[in-house]
Amino acid sequence: MSDQLSGALRAPDPALGARQALVRRRRGSGGRVYAAARWMAAGLFAALLVSLVVVMANDASQAFGRSGIGFIWSGTWNPAANEFGAGILVVGTIVTTAVAMLLVIPVGLGAAAFLAEFAPRWLAGAFSAAVDLLAAIPSIVVGLWGLIVLSPLFARDVEPFLGAVPVVEWFFHGPAYGPSVLLASVVLAVMTLPTMVALSRTALRGVPQADREAALALGATRWQVVRKAVIPGARAGVAAAITLAIGRALGESIAVAMVIGNNPSIPHSLLAPGATLGSAIINQFAEASPGLGASSIVALAVVLLALTVAVNLGGQALLRANATRRALRGGEPR
Amino acid sequence: MNRSRDAVAVGRDDSVLVGDEGRRTSGRSRAFVQDAARRSLWRRRLAGRAGRLACALALVVGLAPLVAELAYTTARGVRGISFGFFVHAPTPPGIPGGGISTAIVGTAQIIGLALAVAVPVGLCAALFLYERPGRLATGLRFSADVLAGVPSIVIGIFAYALVVRGLHHFSDLAASFAIAVLMVPIMIRANEEAMRTVPVDLWEAGVALGARRSRVARSVVVRSAVPGLVSGNLLAVARGVGETAPLLFTVAAPTAAMTLLIFSEGTEALPAAQETAWATAFVLLAFVLALSVTSRVVAWGLTRRAR
Repeated sequence: MSDQLSGALRAPDPALGARQALVRRRRGSGGRVYAAARWMAAGLFAALLVSLVVVMANDASQAFGRSGIGFIWSGTWNPAANEFGAGILVVGTIVTTAVAMLLVIPVGLGAAAFLAEFAPRWLAGAFSAAVDLLAAIPSIVVGLWGLIVLSPLFARDVEPFLGAVPVVEWFFHGPAYGPSVLLASVVLAVMTLPTMVALSRTALRGVPQADREAALALGATRWQVVRKAVIPGARAGVAAAITLAIGRALGESIAVAMVIGNNPSIPHSLLAPGATLGSAIINQFAEASPGLGASSIVALAVVLLALTVAVNLGGQALLRANATRRALRGGEPR
Repeated sequence: MNRSRDAVAVGRDDSVLVGDEGRRTSGRSRAFVQDAARRSLWRRRLAGRAGRLACALALVVGLAPLVAELAYTTARGVRGISFGFFVHAPTPPGIPGGGISTAIVGTAQIIGLALAVAVPVGLCAALFLYERPGRLATGLRFSADVLAGVPSIVIGIFAYALVVRGLHHFSDLAASFAIAVLMVPIMIRANEEAMRTVPVDLWEAGVALGARRSRVARSVVVRSAVPGLVSGNLLAVARGVGETAPLLFTVAAPTAAMTLLIFSEGTEALPAAQETAWATAFVLLAFVLALSVTSRVVAWGLTRRAR
């Protein structure tokens, strides 16, 4: 009896055996067309990625060959003089994104905290659905609204007002045109807000219920629970939401091109028109001369690609770290 | 989500801060501590009120521009809508009359062709991830994540460099290529997410019955995951339809797609051009939001039927 038992224990796991049999049968079980289709899809995708890198690097090589790696920070963009450098555009991209994030992070996090922690269930459900829906608004429509509705409004009311407030006006001097770095940042903020709210709400809800209960038991008010237990607990998830929002803001081009005023020079004030990598690509593409001009446009796209991929990889690493930590702590599955 | 209210017996403002009940403290110091506790409680309750109000305000402030934008587009766009608007070709900018028939047809062609490639590729790649987990699958998943984060304008430049330069002319084909490249990673991720709900045991049971893998994929995996698959792909279509930047570098004429028409007419100062832009924006918005809602309803309805 005991011999039989130990024999059974030593025998391979039947499920494992079945699985191995399946693996061995893989080739023999027909469905060659299907196997080929599956492999082709995977292969096609890999080829796509490789060709993306190869084609862009090849087309940008002339611009990078001329200015070297200095293309990224050299500060003149003057097609007439055949001088191409992405420096000002990189600065413009980073400034618009940073100002947009200054607006989006507090507002988005507050809204997410309200939806995840304070709102009654029906309200949270309705607003969450609304946020998801608003995230689907195409960027061109937001851009059109920014250009035709917000731009005159900014030129008439908002920008003169900001220029008149003490201390704040250090950032907002100069004439109010309407199209400006500020307007571009506001439009970016409007566009990235739904992403920020949806992702950080998910992160906040992933915080284990026990953390909330523990804080409540210590005598914390609900607000203190959110501020001291829930938001710190969801730090990695919120950071991931922020990085993904940054990635979207960096890469957004059409709406920015419509409202930023397209002036490739260092903006001395947030009211001055500026340019970003994306907006410059859109505006310069049509009039780029073949050869160096066209190559420089592609080089701008390469710089933008590198920037966004770096940010997104950071965001993914954060998400993964968050998932691991949650698994270790035995938090609630999402 | 609101379980905290049920799980812990606390009041609405829910904080019970007990003063120092220790026996060794004198009456005076106890009164002092209790007073301090009361003041602290009052302060913390006030902070809680303010904080909650600030959060609610953040939601309102955040959503207000988007809702205003939606309302404005609807109000202004509806005026330009008529039967003729859908069936007539566009007139040159500034000349009144005309419609957007070519833009609607163009968008439909571009998206249709892109879908014809992207949907099968997305589905097969997701099945690959499902059936063959391993290093290769991890790499594929990772590259899908990376590609999904690439800005659409970069994809547009890529399509220009590869297809437009390769064929020596601008074409809808190049636009379809760009949109397909844009949609495939989104679809792979959404499809995989949907298939994750199908237990591997089910797949193994199917194969153990001796069914072909294609048959198992069709009758077990795809069939059980269908709500998620449909809604994920619909969302990808909504993204594709609303894209502008990739089309700028690939399409021959600005009248060949709705988003491009909005861009070219909207940046004209002429009133008639702007009316066309708003009406087109309204049509686009209605279509994209309808797709988005349909995607949610489909996911919900099919999931309920499957239960």
